[in-house]
Amino acid sequence: MNWFLRGIRRGILTEKEFPQVQWPSELHRSKEGEVKCPTDALKEDRWDPNRCIFCRACEPILSPTGRSVQAQVKRSEPSFRRSFYLYPIDVGTCGGCNLEFRLIASPQYDMTRFGIFLTNTPRHADALVVMGVMTPKMEEVLRRAYDAMPEPKLVILLGVCAVSGGILGMPPDIRGDVVIPGCPPTPESILRALVEAKSGE
Amino acid sequence: MRIIGDLGPHCLTSEGLAEGPCKYSRPTIGEGGYGSFNFLYGPSAGGLLESVAFDILTYGESIEDVRALSYKTRHIKVGGLPLRDVLFKVERINVPFAASHTIAFLTAVENALGVSPPEEVVESRIAQLELERIRNNLLVIQRLAEAASFLVPTYRLLYYVEEVNRAISRSCGHRYFLGANYLGESRCQELHLPRIDVEELRDLLSNRIFIDRLQGNGVVKEDWAIGPAARAAGFSYDARLEVPELKYRDHGFKIVTESKGDAFSRMLVRLEEIEVSLKILEGVEVKPRRFELPSREGRGIGRVESPSGDLAYMVQVEQGSIKELHLLPPSRINILLFLRSMPENIFTDFPFNWESFGIWISEAEVSIS
Repeated sequence: MNWFLRGIRRGILTEKEFPQVQWPSELHRSKEGEVKCPTDALKEDRWDPNRCIFCRACEPILSPTGRSVQAQVKRSEPSFRRSFYLYPIDVGTCGGCNLEFRLIASPQYDMTRFGIFLTNTPRHADALVVMGVMTPKMEEVLRRAYDAMPEPKLVILLGVCAVSGGILGMPPDIRGDVVIPGCPPTPESILRALVEAKSGE
Repeated sequence: MRIIGDLGPHCLTSEGLAEGPCKYSRPTIGEGGYGSFNFLYGPSAGGLLESVAFDILTYGESIEDVRALSYKTRHIKVGGLPLRDVLFKVERINVPFAASHTIAFLTAVENALGVSPPEEVVESRIAQLELERIRNNLLVIQRLAEAASFLVPTYRLLYYVEEVNRAISRSCGHRYFLGANYLGESRCQELHLPRIDVEELRDLLSNRIFIDRLQGNGVVKEDWAIGPAARAAGFSYDARLEVPELKYRDHGFKIVTESKGDAFSRMLVRLEEIEVSLKILEGVEVKPRRFELPSREGRGIGRVESPSGDLAYMVQVEQGSIKELHLLPPSRINILLFLRSMPENIFTDFPFNWESFGIWISEAEVSIS
């Protein structure tokens, strides 16, 4: 069958609500006890999603709630309300963030319905999506990509490696306007953060 | 006996370790003549899923030679760390192949400690490896369709990739199996199969324009090839029938082969393997299970058939910590095969050939100390 007709006959696959994910999701304390966290994500009884790699070493003292991990949108840019072009840059990932970021374009999530698109050059980008721990040879590549972008621009740190270094290294030395925790963050977390960043809603 | 690849100072073969390094012909750098020039593609560019650069020697259209340049090398320290902490790092070497890495590492540890996991753990591991293979094969075919700007199948395939991720999440808690395997434990609860219409995927083969981009592109028939690249060239190489720990023979597993050794044959192998994996999964029962790991010392090797070929770990365990660890990721061999297959092709062949090998830079360039 013609692929165009096949696409139409399948109908709309885009979803308004997404299925619950256990790992990664917001964690809560369900039992008393000591936790030996490999990334110090649990300090003085406070769970820090920006450090958590969701390795399950804290189970069953901490358990997942199934609620999507909340991103922190420190600055949004209303001028990107109608169209928001993203340039992803991988400075040292394990491939997980790359794949989850790619999946926000899948029919279930369909980023384009929110006016979110990808661009092949930082010259046309409204936001730089930084993924991975900092690796030495990518430092200059990251700086040049950032400098090439027009103003106004946002920096989005995607995944625990870019936010805090996770378990594998150091984070990139760049201030994030939007911070999306998770190892890797789910497409739902990513999409919610991007929509908030572009419109402040 | 076949060569699999360099594992630390040794050469891993299908019959065990031999003196290293492996004796396969390494790529040589070609020299251009009058009018040739070097074109740099990458490291951060549209069309690439990860950061990698290629130094391409060309006269304008034909590709004379290609070199891959490392950009995102991560240095991961594991020496002297407890097994648990090393496991968390191993899981994150290449998350799209996290089940393959973790299961190969845990098998190496179990062999070092002289313990065999119970039947339920073996079944769970087979299920994880096959779910991971289905997802990755769908992704590779999606990338090929995307390279051809064949948009409806591109998004249909992305839909299926997401469906597999959801099935994995329901079965094992995490969409990429992180935390699903632990020392002496398999945590996957119950197997949920993704709904994939394989007949729909086969319709890709009825599009002549798409096929033309793949046929005759990137022919490689080296006898040291691994995974789908080897099977596409007619070699019946598959760790699933060579490694005794995972009892694939009990599941009626059969190897899929093609003969041409080009990007199209690699896609055909991956397409057929989706169906083979779904059939294996129908006969697998998954439930969580714990087992005891003794406090011993020793050295062991673990090998699995990852979605892109043989993946192996060699570990030395002392007092519950890792003294030595060596990794053979499939992408390292597949990059060599890609570089060998690229000369005499043209620029428009490049993305199709690259994507057909299913290479992940994250595991190819990782440095473990």
